[in-house]
Amino acid sequence: MDHRKYMTILKLDEAAIASRRAFFSLSEDDLARLASLRPLAERITDAIVEEFYALLLSHPDTRKFFGDEATIRRVKRTQREYFIGLFSGRCDTAYVEDRLRVGAMHERIGLAPTWYLGAYRQYLQLIREHFDVEIKDPVAAREGFFSVQRIVFFDVALAIDTYIAANLEALGRHQAAIRELSTPVIRVHDRVLLLPLVGAVDSHRAQQIMESVLVHVVDAQARCIIIDIAGVPVVDTRVADHLLKTAAAVRLLGAQVVLTGITAQVARTMVQLGLDVSSMHTLSRLSEGIELALGMVGKSITTRPT
Amino acid sequence: MSAHGQIPILRIGPTLLVSIQIELRDAVAEAFQADVLSAIEERGTTGLVVDISGLEMVDTYVARILAETGRMAKLMGTRTVLVGMRPEVAATLIRMGYGMEGVRTELDLDAGLALFGHIIPQK
Repeated sequence: MDHRKYMTILKLDEAAIASRRAFFSLSEDDLARLASLRPLAERITDAIVEEFYALLLSHPDTRKFFGDEATIRRVKRTQREYFIGLFSGRCDTAYVEDRLRVGAMHERIGLAPTWYLGAYRQYLQLIREHFDVEIKDPVAAREGFFSVQRIVFFDVALAIDTYIAANLEALGRHQAAIRELSTPVIRVHDRVLLLPLVGAVDSHRAQQIMESVLVHVVDAQARCIIIDIAGVPVVDTRVADHLLKTAAAVRLLGAQVVLTGITAQVARTMVQLGLDVSSMHTLSRLSEGIELALGMVGKSITTRPT
Repeated sequence: MSAHGQIPILRIGPTLLVSIQIELRDAVAEAFQADVLSAIEERGTTGLVVDISGLEMVDTYVARILAETGRMAKLMGTRTVLVGMRPEVAATLIRMGYGMEGVRTELDLDAGLALFGHIIPQK
């Protein structure tokens, strides 16, 4: 997924960015301090990146993300840019977009938050050590480090949000796939469709079933759609009501519903509950339903003489 | 402009064919009903085919006008068939509890005309 999409999903407009910055205590002073530390950052970037990758490459679980030497050279270069970016003195929409791109990239290669967070811990420690050596005044070193810490945590939050957004997005796609699978309309013959229903039918699914059935009937110019309910565990008043509504809507289109898969148990329940399904053709076996439906389009199944 | 004649009524032998392409608002709907009934009165008519494939929205008012027109035509000896309803229209009508019982429906114009003996050869 594109990082700009994450901007939208996470609703990262200017107000949201300002609110985040306030919560992370990332002030204009911090940004100014970071900008003033930029020459120092440029001096120590090579050393920090080398030490950082020494850790990443020494651990088997992180090592596997960096294939050959060329990849390592490339990611080190990116890392240098990232490090210098912390000292840009900016924290605007462009900065956030850039950070989301990094987060999205890590999510794409499947680097779990554990390693990501662990790597940041190491990162901060390295920066602290270098600051202590390079900045003579201990108060200034501490202040500078605090500013780095604020922007790093700001970045980490963005990365974690990207992970979560990516996973939620994947979940949404899977739900859509399941929804699609829950109404598999099959073409039995010209103008004859079949919808085998499996699993419980709640109101939400019933709505989808109706919409899907109607669209398929029109698309296929179907005369008849067979709905087989053999795989529906419980057929109660509500389910029957949904089926009747679907049948009524199908009729409005000029087609018919044949309901099959009515077991003895279901037949008994329907009568005991006083459900009137006489507006649909009902049959117990799917094969009978197919024969009836074919009859409606002027076809019939015959036995070939042997 | 008068609301009459806004929806053209075509005659194929003893069958009337109406295709509704514009929104049926009050005056237009009433004029449509009157036009259809006087067309039936004018000449021997046995069938009325109403094509609503052009309608993206049908509210209960329009549904009632259509169903009523069918019942009125029936009284004059003309059978009515409604053809080409869109899926979303059907779903909405059912959701509003309006199943248009008693109105004959068919998928498309071919099927509607076939009902009155106009067989269109298929490729």
